[in-house]
Amino acid sequence: MLRSLERLFRSNYLFTLGVLICIFWILMAILAPVIAPYDPIVQDLSVMLQPPSKEHIFGTDNFGRDIFSRVIYGGRYSLLAGCLTVIIAGALGSLYGAIAGYVGGKVDNVMMRFSEMVLSFPSLILAMLINSVMGSSLFNTMFALVIVAWPTYARLMRSVVLSVKENEYIAAAEVLGASRMRILIKEIIPNSISSVLIMATTDLGNQILMFSTLSFLGLGSAPPTPEWGMMVSEGVDYFNKFWVAGFPGLAIFTMAIGANFIGDGMRDLLDPKLRKQF
Amino acid sequence: MKKRILALLLAGVMALGLCACGGGADEGEASAPAEGGNVVAIAMGSGFDTMDPGYCYEKYPALVINACYETLFKFYSNDGAAEPCLAETYAFSEDNMTLTITLRDSTFASGNPVTSEDVKFSLERVKNLKGNPSFITDTIASIDTPDEKTVVLNLTQPDSAILSKLTYSAMAILDSKVVIENGGTCAEDASTADTAQSYLDSTSAGSGMYVMTSYKPDEEIVMEKNPNYSGEATNVDKYVIKIQPDANTQMMTLAGGDIDIAMNLTKDTFAEVQGKDGIVTEAVASKTVSFLLMNMNEQYGGPVSDPLVQQAIRKAVDYAGIQAICGEGTTTPYSLIQTGFMGAKGERSTDYTNVEEAKALLAEAGYADGFEIDLTVCDLAMEGILLSDLAQKVKDDLAQIGITVNIVPQPWAAGYGDAYRDGTIGFTVMYWGIDYNDPNVQLEFMPGASVGLRAGWTAEMDPDLAALYNQAMEATDNDARTAILEQIQDGMYENGPFVMIAQAPVYLGYNDRLTGVEISDPYVVDVTLINVAE
Repeated sequence: MLRSLERLFRSNYLFTLGVLICIFWILMAILAPVIAPYDPIVQDLSVMLQPPSKEHIFGTDNFGRDIFSRVIYGGRYSLLAGCLTVIIAGALGSLYGAIAGYVGGKVDNVMMRFSEMVLSFPSLILAMLINSVMGSSLFNTMFALVIVAWPTYARLMRSVVLSVKENEYIAAAEVLGASRMRILIKEIIPNSISSVLIMATTDLGNQILMFSTLSFLGLGSAPPTPEWGMMVSEGVDYFNKFWVAGFPGLAIFTMAIGANFIGDGMRDLLDPKLRKQF
Repeated sequence: MKKRILALLLAGVMALGLCACGGGADEGEASAPAEGGNVVAIAMGSGFDTMDPGYCYEKYPALVINACYETLFKFYSNDGAAEPCLAETYAFSEDNMTLTITLRDSTFASGNPVTSEDVKFSLERVKNLKGNPSFITDTIASIDTPDEKTVVLNLTQPDSAILSKLTYSAMAILDSKVVIENGGTCAEDASTADTAQSYLDSTSAGSGMYVMTSYKPDEEIVMEKNPNYSGEATNVDKYVIKIQPDANTQMMTLAGGDIDIAMNLTKDTFAEVQGKDGIVTEAVASKTVSFLLMNMNEQYGGPVSDPLVQQAIRKAVDYAGIQAICGEGTTTPYSLIQTGFMGAKGERSTDYTNVEEAKALLAEAGYADGFEIDLTVCDLAMEGILLSDLAQKVKDDLAQIGITVNIVPQPWAAGYGDAYRDGTIGFTVMYWGIDYNDPNVQLEFMPGASVGLRAGWTAEMDPDLAALYNQAMEATDNDARTAILEQIQDGMYENGPFVMIAQAPVYLGYNDRLTGVEISDPYVVDVTLINVAE
């Protein structure tokens, strides 16, 4: 694994770039209080809408807040929301799919029809609905994203489990008298999880974009939180002051593309066959 | 090689694009004097779908109605009282329950004279159409026409705002003969029986300076001189109104000379055209006002229901800063009545803000260390200014005196609207647009009135102030009205659950070949005052 990872770094420059971008943003997010030159939420009306300069390298917004500091802090919310959504939705979805696939029969039927029901809603609309009913906060937005994202994982996991459970070692375990719970957890899930991992890495970029979209629409965290999507939305009113929406937009772009590069690379690493199919 | 061709092609396309843009800007005075005399092109916002005065309630139709029709009374300046227009003289009865109006001589575009029957028909039609603007006739019980030139309005209650109401677009006087010929009726069943709307959408039937000759919804309105106009006309022969709400398009077409007046500029686009050659800009406070609501009911308001805390917050808000955020032209009214209204006491001084005093007041109220509170804010914008932007500023200001504000966004449609109307929101920033151009609309903020109750402010809490409400409704003489309105403004200057924050600015840009262009609250722009400079 480690050696193939090394080979991947050498051969796949995009993957390397993706990793570097992500490490960059993670470092920025962790070290935000050290790096940021200003407090991201303190207003200073004497420097409203200043273009990038030595004092404010990304310029200032309509409250005179330093956009560079806000972008750095903003990484915390996007990264946190993206990663947590993928982890929670991935865990819930794959457990759900594994149970459905392994148990089979009527249970499978009912479980999968339910997940398809959720999936059949346009995801953005559903997320907006959940968010506006529950009120917008960071937690609620992540909750909405998880609700929308888990069925995809469930479907993928189920299809993998269906083929894995036909393997002879499963039959052997059954013959040996292992409980179904044990077979599910010790045999089936570990042997099916790799495709979920691939999907999770590719999905990370999507979730970050979804989160930004929701907060762009005013359904993310409450102002004055320095959240990227919200900063872009605040900036669109100032179309000839590119820096207000431009820099947070650039941050979303690099973060999403970095996550996608990693996803592609991981697909190469874990499942070369899958890549050829696409 | 292929790539190079592609790159060349791309470069070519971009160059063409640039030429096209440049060309648009160079065309120049496309609307300059044409063969048909002086033509003026206007760009204005959308949001309406009829030009039948009986249904006109939105902002922009008022511009057309004011040009094509006349009303009994009219606002000739933007900050005065209503003055007679079609009316020549008027008198209230002793008990203020009837208003007698004599009409001046005037003719409709059709050549018919304006008579008291036309007035009766027009006002009763608005009432019986039961459309959006029908509420404006609520205080009119019946209309008598003792002779051709006299109209007597019998009121249901003394209504000091009646003259202002009679200036409203919906109260425009229609040519009853023409409208009846085309399916109009003012009978009780007018809401179903009246079929004149399609006629009034194709042309106008009034006595105004212009006649509407074409109306394409969401596209264009054309108005031409009324040959039978009885007053003194301006030298503009034709108006072409483009319904084009996008601020950027308006800015560019104004700069290019394709349009003469742009009415929907924003703070940003306004700054772009400001100081450009040949363009005059104007930024004026509108009567749309934003305010802080602090619920008097302790159950909802918590600490902000305490009058001392309310006063502390009033002292802590940085009005100058808010004006800077909202943009040029923003004003903060002295009290509940916006600047520009008859009887308004002007602006609240920006040095009213005093953090030390605010802290002392907070300490006196028992919150020396401040407190934490939720500020609910909905997703609406006041004339392009997001309420959440105002909320962020308030949060920052209150942090100065130790109050920690947590902004809680709640969409209007997802509960905020209902909670606001039911008066269950504790602390919020909201805005208020006026229904008609009279200071009486602001009296709703008084204790016991509709907006007052949304802040849990009942008449029993401040009986002296509440009593002034009825007095203000009954006074019909302008001086008496002003005196009472001033008393009310003083009474609410440092008292009550509302803090009026800012009147949103409106921006206007126009070609300097025009004179007499001014922002008008009731008519957007009064086109009957515009001339082309010779």
